[in-house]
Amino acid sequence: MEMIRKKRSDNSLIATYLAIGATVVGVMMIFGILMLLAQGGVLELQPAAFYQFLTIHGTGMIGAAALAGAAVMWYFLRNYVDLSKKIFGLNLLFSLIGIVMVIIGVFSFEYASSWTFLYPLPALSANAWGTIGALLYLVGMLVLGVGFLLMYIDVGRAIIKKYGSLGKGLGWDVISGKKAEADAPPATVVASTMVTIVNVTALTAGATVLIMNIINVINPSFTFDPLLAKNLTYAFGHIFANSIIYMGVIAVYEILPRYTNRPWKANRIFLIAWTMSTSFTLVIYTHHMLMDSVMPKWMLIMGQILSYANGLPVLVITAYGALMIVYKSGIKWDMASGLIFISMFGWTVGVVPAIVDATIVVNHVMHNTKWVPGHFHMYMGLGAVVMIFGFMYFLSKEDSSLKTNLFDRIALICYTLSIIGVSGGFLVSGALSTPRRWATHFPDWMGPAVFGAVSGVLAAISVTIFVIHFIRYMMVRNKGNEGKVFHERKLA
Amino acid sequence: MIQTVAWITSLFFMLMVAAVFGVVALKSKERKDYEPIKKKWYKARTFYGISLVVLMLVLTIYTLRELPYNQPVYGQGKDPTIVDVEALQFGWNISQTSFKVGEPIEFDVTSADVNHGFGIYDEDMNLIAQTQAMPEYVNKVYITFDEPGTYEVLCLEYCGLAHHLMIATLEVTE
Repeated sequence: MEMIRKKRSDNSLIATYLAIGATVVGVMMIFGILMLLAQGGVLELQPAAFYQFLTIHGTGMIGAAALAGAAVMWYFLRNYVDLSKKIFGLNLLFSLIGIVMVIIGVFSFEYASSWTFLYPLPALSANAWGTIGALLYLVGMLVLGVGFLLMYIDVGRAIIKKYGSLGKGLGWDVISGKKAEADAPPATVVASTMVTIVNVTALTAGATVLIMNIINVINPSFTFDPLLAKNLTYAFGHIFANSIIYMGVIAVYEILPRYTNRPWKANRIFLIAWTMSTSFTLVIYTHHMLMDSVMPKWMLIMGQILSYANGLPVLVITAYGALMIVYKSGIKWDMASGLIFISMFGWTVGVVPAIVDATIVVNHVMHNTKWVPGHFHMYMGLGAVVMIFGFMYFLSKEDSSLKTNLFDRIALICYTLSIIGVSGGFLVSGALSTPRRWATHFPDWMGPAVFGAVSGVLAAISVTIFVIHFIRYMMVRNKGNEGKVFHERKLA
Repeated sequence: MIQTVAWITSLFFMLMVAAVFGVVALKSKERKDYEPIKKKWYKARTFYGISLVVLMLVLTIYTLRELPYNQPVYGQGKDPTIVDVEALQFGWNISQTSFKVGEPIEFDVTSADVNHGFGIYDEDMNLIAQTQAMPEYVNKVYITFDEPGTYEVLCLEYCGLAHHLMIATLEVTE
């Protein structure tokens, strides 16, 4: 009973993470819609406003989804290892401070470097923004990163304490045959270990390049190597953004077996796949630099080869496993199971244009076109974020007696179609050579942007419905002891 | 055109993924024992996995044969025209902007301030080549124009508020 009470109390913090994350995702969609409308020639937006929206949209989406993804990981991982709630709370506090600093930097001080803050742009803005705006944004990002770093260090500590090492958390002793498959760590522990390894690396790279930029902004006579800075920026951004999927997929591993009554156990191939994902995620960021011919050629070639290889774990193990577990299972479809299944579709389908773009000869004519947001809106918007929405419906069902209604089901369909519309619009634009991150478009490029904006409106409405359901759940569980009675009834 | 091939290839495989997920969703309401399903589909996975690896290997070998980083092999005594390109907020300094059809050109691209992207567009506004313009480094683009016309250079790396105004033209004549 004490354990249930503790878990219920932890759920409040987890729900706060999710509510903030999902709400920010919804708000960021509005900025996305406004940018597409401006590119489509429907809305007149000053370039300064457009690029501020661009900066806040990219930073906010990844930050919010990472926050919500962390909540998914924490919810399930606490069943296997002893996590610190204080540090989990501290991460939220650091994130909120960071978010406020970033918002003030962008909107009050007109800072607009895009999330990439490619050195030396924060210091050299051609008088568009000043030192204070740049410092607010860069230090805000640093504060955000420190919060996440503390949380991952705590996750790593807890895994090492229980399993002996991060290698054992990835199941290397099972892969090597020292331990039986039956004793393999659960999928949640494996995924959390992977995310800890890659994100501690990413956040260290990110902190390094942020500090380099901060020093350069304060005193421009201190300069750094722009190529090194670019490597650090993409190592940070690529890994951190991708880790959201690897946190979100924990919901898939945990929820689908409950709905299908079929086990999803970590076997040797599963563990090998996760070790592959860990290694590849760390090194394939170079596919963001395929158009930097001054990079060592072998790194760029490996960027293509390993990006292809990185598709294998998802295509052959995780997506295939999800399909197998659902196939002829008699699954009861509801909002949670439906969204979780769709999220696996989104991730898998998004891998296709991502792999195509990682091909050097293709990248030569598609890098920094709208093809790039096309593929990541697919696997983030229809993959990672949908895992989070699916988990939100799962939590509200597990933790309260709140029922879903027709609006939720309509929102699920609308969201799926609309993100296909948004991503499709971007991909078509990319095929038409439309540059990304452009405040205005030539007339030939406007059509897909308008189509994407209209689709985006539907997506934003759908997310609003998801968030309303979740806020209702939070209100229900906070109202008197309804939640407590529900849990005791479940226990009985 | 590479973009068309990329689009059709992506569309084909994306539709295949959609079809597989659709079939599984349609079959999800039936209830069968998991063990025979696992046995059958694990076997199929081995075949699927190997096929995918082979497909990726073939594609890798095929697409890595000619890389844009390598200087093309020109005819004897036919050295490329070297063109210095310097990007700066918010314009281009290009040492030569008029060329002949069939003339091999090497663009040596750098930046005077922040990161920019040097993208060459043909008259139909299709991107035909690009590289990054980075301070302190020189990236190279090798190109031989096949068609006469007015080509445009667009900035393809976000560089500040007038990023979308960084446009230059190249003239190619017979």
